[in-house]
Amino acid sequence: MGLPNVFNTGRTGMIASKAAIATTGHNIANTNTEGFSRQRVLTSAETPRNSAGMQSLIGNGTAISRVERINDEYVEKQVRNGARDLSHMEEKDLVLRQTEDVFNEMNGDGLNRLISRFFNEFRKLSNEPDNEAVRQSVRESSQAMVNDFHRIRREVEAVREHIDARLEGYSKEINSLAEQVKDLNMQIKTAELAGGSPNDLLDKRDQAMKKLGSYMEMSVHKDGGGSFVVDVKGVGPLVVGPMAEKFSVFRSKADDQGKPEAAFDVQSTSHANSLVTHQIKGGKLGALLEVRDKTLSTILDRLDELAYNISDSVNSIHQQGFTRHGVQGVEFFGHMGGKERASEFIQLSDAVRDSVNNIAAAAQPDSPGDNRIAIAISGLQSEKFMNEGKATMDDFYNSIVSDVGVAASKNRSGMNQQKDIMTQLNKIRDQISGVSIDEETANLMQFQHMFDASAKVIQVADEMLKTVLDMRR
Amino acid sequence: MEGLQQQSATLRKLNTPSDDPIGAAKVLEIRTDKVNNDQFQMNTRMAETFLENTDHIIGELADIVVRAKEIALGQASGASSNEGTRLGVAEEVTQLFQQAVATANRRIGDRYLLGGFKTQRPPVDPEGRYTGDDGQTMVEIAKDVFISSNVPGVEVFNTHPKSSNDGRSVYSPNTLGRGPASEGAMDGELAYENVNVFDEIQNLRIALLTGDLDGVRNTLDRFDQVHSKLVACRAKVGSRLQGLQSTSQALERHNVTNAQLGSVLEDADMAQVVSDLTKEETVFKSALASSQRLIQPTLLDFLK
Repeated sequence: MGLPNVFNTGRTGMIASKAAIATTGHNIANTNTEGFSRQRVLTSAETPRNSAGMQSLIGNGTAISRVERINDEYVEKQVRNGARDLSHMEEKDLVLRQTEDVFNEMNGDGLNRLISRFFNEFRKLSNEPDNEAVRQSVRESSQAMVNDFHRIRREVEAVREHIDARLEGYSKEINSLAEQVKDLNMQIKTAELAGGSPNDLLDKRDQAMKKLGSYMEMSVHKDGGGSFVVDVKGVGPLVVGPMAEKFSVFRSKADDQGKPEAAFDVQSTSHANSLVTHQIKGGKLGALLEVRDKTLSTILDRLDELAYNISDSVNSIHQQGFTRHGVQGVEFFGHMGGKERASEFIQLSDAVRDSVNNIAAAAQPDSPGDNRIAIAISGLQSEKFMNEGKATMDDFYNSIVSDVGVAASKNRSGMNQQKDIMTQLNKIRDQISGVSIDEETANLMQFQHMFDASAKVIQVADEMLKTVLDMRR
Repeated sequence: MEGLQQQSATLRKLNTPSDDPIGAAKVLEIRTDKVNNDQFQMNTRMAETFLENTDHIIGELADIVVRAKEIALGQASGASSNEGTRLGVAEEVTQLFQQAVATANRRIGDRYLLGGFKTQRPPVDPEGRYTGDDGQTMVEIAKDVFISSNVPGVEVFNTHPKSSNDGRSVYSPNTLGRGPASEGAMDGELAYENVNVFDEIQNLRIALLTGDLDGVRNTLDRFDQVHSKLVACRAKVGSRLQGLQSTSQALERHNVTNAQLGSVLEDADMAQVVSDLTKEETVFKSALASSQRLIQPTLLDFLK
């Protein structure tokens, strides 16, 4: 064996330990980087060379075979799915909370109280049908009730608009993430063709994929070249190798699946008829669409039904009565064609707005003390004419409130559970891919010693060479 | 911990519907009940005021009738009356008549009590003719319990009133499925001769002025009929007042029960909240303390 070879052996050790130290440093530097997987330098013994005239083979030092990342694809997938479900519930929680606030009258006034007040004012009127002040307060309380119908409608629509704004933002984010995954697909392919293992790019792609996956249900698999193929369930491919499809939103008419008028429809370039609003399930987009098209639409429909029924039933009695001027057939609420957007259109009739004397309390003309119409109207409060004769107006409104509450609380308990699951999954991922400072520090020292020792080998070889050279003197 | 803090700040455990959806609906129901009951109690008090005043009016009318009968008795026999005394008391009878009309036209605020639905004009004109109707102002004093808060003058002044005097169709409760039950006129008693308070006093006056002793004597029996009718009316009003009181007490009890239920659903148990809060705080602190221990020591600390 030649001495120069010993130099080389020492040199490979130094190179390997330098690489290991650099990788350790890289790990430590990325301790807090989200989605980072710790890396390891894999070394293998250099192929021994047959030295002339010797029986045994002597090793030639080490070689860096590759730098690998410690990562479990299955766990990554679970984290991705868990994150999707969690963001689905978080997104839902956010908008349901806003919706709940609209109906929250636990600590203050709300429609429930105003409807009771409305009917009670008619009871007051039945006490003193000839008292003008009471008539004023009947009109005032009716106006307050009408205003609250408008308020609820407006605020629910504000939640809807908020949802639409988020939908628009999200569709842009989806496009940029899909683009990112596509770009990373190509970079990774190039790097792998060159023979390297682009660990950090792989981490980045996993991270982008995790974000992308949080928007809706999608399936991911690798094609032959190691590129991600992303399919959105029910919609079609989102990323295929070097191709990324685009999502966009546009305002459109109401449809029969609960999408309100002028709200956003989602379209995708990957779907045949491009409209995918009702195909998207799960994730943030799924949550927003579900709340907007199911929860909120149902709430508004029921609110409209309530507004229409109050207005219609009060009118039908009021029109039988006589006003203070002895006129029959005057409407109390303005006429509405149907339930469609009734909570928006409900208002006092012009006659009642003009004069409180147009409120009919009497069942016969010229009878200021007659209160029978007022009594009949106040009696509507306990009349079961909502929900096919099964519920009073109070019951009906209370059930809207409690339905909102049930939806919010069900989702919240699911969310808390999912949070626990995510904590668990993240822990598992951290155990596999996370960076431990202790371990890295220990490794650092170990590699430093290796570096020192490899240097020592060169020093010894140098001294040996010196000895050999000195022999000639 | 945040939830507990909100509970302790508001003293309520129901702060949003999602805290307890079913309870929240129940609370709203109870509140509606409470508002309604308060209104029913207001109604009861209003009805009480009206009925008590009606009672006073009828009482005064009865007194007037008694006085008129005394006069009639005094003047009934030729022995105790002569033209002079008759003319003298006739003047008093005129006064009684005017007093009766004024009493019948008494009002609370701007509302005439005895006019049926015609509450905005005097129910009796200066000639003693009734201008009101037989409308009964029904008042809801508890859910679906109605009581009439007035007695139409036609029922008070006449012993055997005929049906609705103005002939207009009376609002039918059946068209709406609910409404005040009209007691209606006592049709079956039309066979009896009707006696009217004002007519009778007027009769007495005319009889006195014309010296018609038979006429004076005739009024005696009829004054008795009128008087017993007035007493019967007072008894009716009295029993209504009693009914009002018992209903009002029932409402009171209902309110108390509702308040208890509402409190159970809505109010936070402070002892529980505070002890939970302390528990959570301990957990939080120990978590902080243990994580402090966990984070601090690394190998680096020992390499210095």
